[in-house]
Amino acid sequence: MFSKILIANRGEIAVRVIKTCRRLGIKTVVVYSEADADSMAVEMADETVFIGPAPAAQSYLVADKIIAACKETGAEAVHPGFGFLSENAGFAQRCADEGIVFIGPNPGAISAMGDKIESKKFAQAANVSCVPGYIGEIADTAHAVKIGEEIGYPVMIKASAGGGGKGIRVAWNRKDVEEGFPAVRSEAKASFGDDRIFIEKFITSPRHIEIQVMGDKHGNVVALFERECSIQRRNQKVIEEAPSPLLDEKTRKAMGDQAVALAKAVNYDSAGTVEFVAGQDKSFYFLEMNTRLQVEHPVTELITGLDLVEQMIRSAYGEKLNIDKNLKINGWAIESRIYAEDPYRKFLPSIGRLVRYNPPAEGERDGYTVRNDAGVREGDEISMFYDPMISKLCTWAPTREAAIAGMGRALEDFHIEGLGHNIPFLAAVMDQERYKSGALSTNYIVDEFPEGFSGTAPTPFQTDVMTAVAVAMHRIQSTRLGQKPRDAWQVFVGKAEKRSVAVTASGHDLSIELNDEGRTLALDRYDWRPGSATFRGKLNGVPFTVEVRPANEGFVIRHRAAKRQVLVLTPMSAELHERLPEKEAADTSRMVISPMPGLVVSMDVVLGQEVKEGEQVCIIEAMKMQNIIRAERDGTVKAVNAKSGDPVAADEVLVEFG
Amino acid sequence: MQHILEELEIRRQRAREGGGEKRIASQHAKGKLSARERIALLLDENSFEEYDMFVEHRCNDFGMGDQRIPGDGVVTGWGTINGRTVYVFSKDFTVFGGSLSMSHAQKIVKVQRAAARVGAPVIGIFDAGGARIQEGVDSLAGYADIFMENVLSSGVIPQISVIMGPCAGGDVYSPAMTDFIFMVKDTSYMYVTGPDVVKTVTNETLTHEELGGARLHSSKSGVADGAFENDLETMTQIRRLVDFLPGSNREKSAIRESYDDGDRIERSLDTLIPSNPNKPYDMKELILKVVDEADFFEIAPDYAKNIICGFARMEGQTVGVVANQPMALAGVLDIDASKKGARFVRFCDAFNIPIVTLVDVPGFMPGAKQELGGLIKHGAKLLFAFAEATVPKVTVITRKAYGGAYDVMSSKHLRGDVNYAWPTAEIAVMGSKGAVEIIFRAEAGDPAKLAEREAEYKSRFANPFVAAQRGYIDDVIMPHSTRRRIAKALRSLKGKTVSNPWKKHDNIPL
Repeated sequence: MFSKILIANRGEIAVRVIKTCRRLGIKTVVVYSEADADSMAVEMADETVFIGPAPAAQSYLVADKIIAACKETGAEAVHPGFGFLSENAGFAQRCADEGIVFIGPNPGAISAMGDKIESKKFAQAANVSCVPGYIGEIADTAHAVKIGEEIGYPVMIKASAGGGGKGIRVAWNRKDVEEGFPAVRSEAKASFGDDRIFIEKFITSPRHIEIQVMGDKHGNVVALFERECSIQRRNQKVIEEAPSPLLDEKTRKAMGDQAVALAKAVNYDSAGTVEFVAGQDKSFYFLEMNTRLQVEHPVTELITGLDLVEQMIRSAYGEKLNIDKNLKINGWAIESRIYAEDPYRKFLPSIGRLVRYNPPAEGERDGYTVRNDAGVREGDEISMFYDPMISKLCTWAPTREAAIAGMGRALEDFHIEGLGHNIPFLAAVMDQERYKSGALSTNYIVDEFPEGFSGTAPTPFQTDVMTAVAVAMHRIQSTRLGQKPRDAWQVFVGKAEKRSVAVTASGHDLSIELNDEGRTLALDRYDWRPGSATFRGKLNGVPFTVEVRPANEGFVIRHRAAKRQVLVLTPMSAELHERLPEKEAADTSRMVISPMPGLVVSMDVVLGQEVKEGEQVCIIEAMKMQNIIRAERDGTVKAVNAKSGDPVAADEVLVEFG
Repeated sequence: MQHILEELEIRRQRAREGGGEKRIASQHAKGKLSARERIALLLDENSFEEYDMFVEHRCNDFGMGDQRIPGDGVVTGWGTINGRTVYVFSKDFTVFGGSLSMSHAQKIVKVQRAAARVGAPVIGIFDAGGARIQEGVDSLAGYADIFMENVLSSGVIPQISVIMGPCAGGDVYSPAMTDFIFMVKDTSYMYVTGPDVVKTVTNETLTHEELGGARLHSSKSGVADGAFENDLETMTQIRRLVDFLPGSNREKSAIRESYDDGDRIERSLDTLIPSNPNKPYDMKELILKVVDEADFFEIAPDYAKNIICGFARMEGQTVGVVANQPMALAGVLDIDASKKGARFVRFCDAFNIPIVTLVDVPGFMPGAKQELGGLIKHGAKLLFAFAEATVPKVTVITRKAYGGAYDVMSSKHLRGDVNYAWPTAEIAVMGSKGAVEIIFRAEAGDPAKLAEREAEYKSRFANPFVAAQRGYIDDVIMPHSTRRRIAKALRSLKGKTVSNPWKKHDNIPL
């Protein structure tokens, strides 16, 4: 076996590889950029090599620096992780030339699969099913109709040069083609000056299903079942699972066989993924092959018990695959990608410092297993230079239902402060009936959150949890101040829900009677102390964790995607709360507000200027991305509160209109 | 006999009605609570003991003789906040617009005097139209009586003003002399002269909000120490503030049982200081991770954000935290920051509240605007305040402590009791670059040489050890142990007694 491996990557995948190496007794070398000097991977590695400035193009992507680091440290092999140099055939070749083992497929396999057209040709040759379509010159409408009939409706008529939603039509029947083809053609001509058109099968409500393959240098390839990655936002995978709720044994085998056939056709000799698009009718068509370890590989590991990084290392070392041919899928695994993005603000990136980072404990819990692949610790920075992923939270359980329930609980137990994160959004998906039913599609997020995400309304259980938690915290606080707590309270959960409660004696840690409903909430096993940001307990026997944040009045409590301000009030105070009229929200239409923290790159309006709705007001740079801020109404600029070069906070008022 | 007793209840009922149902409803419609409702929210349930509910005015001019309402526009008395006594007066806008008559003033003076006598805070709630013009000079005399009590009580008992409606003219000066002013957004305003007069005199057309709204005073003028959304939130937060404060300068603040281990280690603080010295970080993270239960009551959070002031607890004991905020103007000391900090330090010193100072200061703000505004004298206020303070003073320098600002920020030289620095501290006259440019002016044309000099200067002075060698810093501490070290320091200082030379009073550069 290798004695020392260099990891040409960063973050969680570097940590992930180090963990396997440690178990195998292999020494590790981690390369790092300026931004990662104090990273967890650097702390864990046996040796480290500095490779330059933060931008990847000047560090992680520079093959020369990686090769030099291998030589300097005597590393015999390189694990590229994913991204960066992982699918760079030139780098793989360079390693081979320098006598360093590239832990991944051979350069030939990488280049064969790296080219979209080339890979489709290989796929066709290997009898892998591809999306039916016609790429040649289409003479006229009649020809287009003929092609449509051959492929079978619906079909997509698409301008070769198309983009931005222009030059695309879906035809559901002959008439649609007769109308659509000339329309798309003239649109293409007008918009792109290129009227070449192609027609291919349109897959309604498609699903993204991929097959994990593993090969060795002795011609063996096995398929390690599928992963479904249909929950995506703008082509970015968000939630993955294995196996797929769509597939039956027959389809699984067919897909696996095709994937293996394709891999064998290119002499594939490492871990790889064959991606398919699947219809709801279980039809499936080859998309592309990724010649690397995939981000979502942990779900495959959880249902197979294999360590794919170990398999890659062994295979790279020249060992024969040692995987049981009769390997069966064991249980169900789900992965949620925790991103530094703010779901409440259109998922804008939200980089910054992890002021608090408390992931759920890994290992077995009641009925499910938690795995959290992360490369960060509390106090680390999610920087603008790299992928804004904070961690990959996985749960495993014997059934899909239990794995989803486990993921819901694990997300409850994940506490992050300092930046925006998508945990409430992920929790919302876990709570959706459609997700639970397995009716997935790559349109899922667009279908289910057409207006974006704004949290969910509390369910009756969540309202009960918030009520009980608020009363418990209130009691702990007032007892501490030496006050004899009263027993009867009015509890407001948000503005809509008002409940009259009474604390009663019982065998439970805290019993709260709901006066109007004749029910009692029994709260047990909680250990909250003032200052804690999370409150764990059991309500009527059901375990829960909520996030609690003191507000100017009461607490803001979040359970999964439901968040409410909760007040515990005396009857008199409750009456006064109801007496005061609801305050009108500040008229923000007269202001331009910074949607995120960043730097003002340019301020494009001046005092007294007439501005029309939609006109550019300023540019804010965040995460190296320039965001154009536009006026939401017509108006005259009354105040300009920021100038070029100023750092601004989220919600800061940049410009005011008269 | 029975009807005599009943008579009392009838009279009380009449007094409680104030200006009547209609006026109270109009108060509610404006988003404001009544004077009594506010007191009920502020104090512990059923703890209010009212004084002078039957007081009426004694004016007979301009038709006032026919209009008498018991209470005369202000509700006064005492009660408890979490069991501790406070005195309170609450102006009743529904009675003569809350305007101030001689009797009204006497009611207020009565609680002011009682509070000073027993050593309990006074909380004044303002929602009033100003002087009772019908009473003429009597009304002015009434104001002055209140002012006098404000001054005599200053530094003896905490005085808190809450502006919950109009507060104009003579009414503004009593709050101005108290320790803290809080306002309610959108429903309160305070100014010396209102929009009408301003229009006549300067021809400016301004709204109440533009002239004296909560946002203006809490972020720009610095008159208010905080602004809250509505009456309910405001009262909750005033209760929270009172929990931090002692009843008077004769006592130590109430100790609250702490659930937070004084020895708690915070590993993540080791990465708080960014590797790039010009990158800001949020000093509030340090405060929240160091103090008990992340419970911090910030004073004037929206004004002079380059300095953070507020109350917190260490092992249950109230402390005042003063900290430079690198996130705002790099934490520089300017006129506003100096005034804000000085006033807060003096409050803490007056009421035996230990001061924890967290330092990351690049210096005083340069520029014509600052100099013209009198930075010298305003900056000196903070210096003066730290120097004269005799309460326990614990200081931690996290990063920059440059120039005169180093001296100012509760340094050893100003009788700092325990002065710590993180290993990332740079205690120097100025930044390395600036220093080198002055010392080696002759080499100005040689950037390579200058860079070398800068590196040399940096390694010599850009660290805490030079200061530590001289004993100006008592120890260099690990960031993660900051809470433990501050807690231990404060424990050791429990018995501190220092007094300044006898004087009538000092002459701080006002």
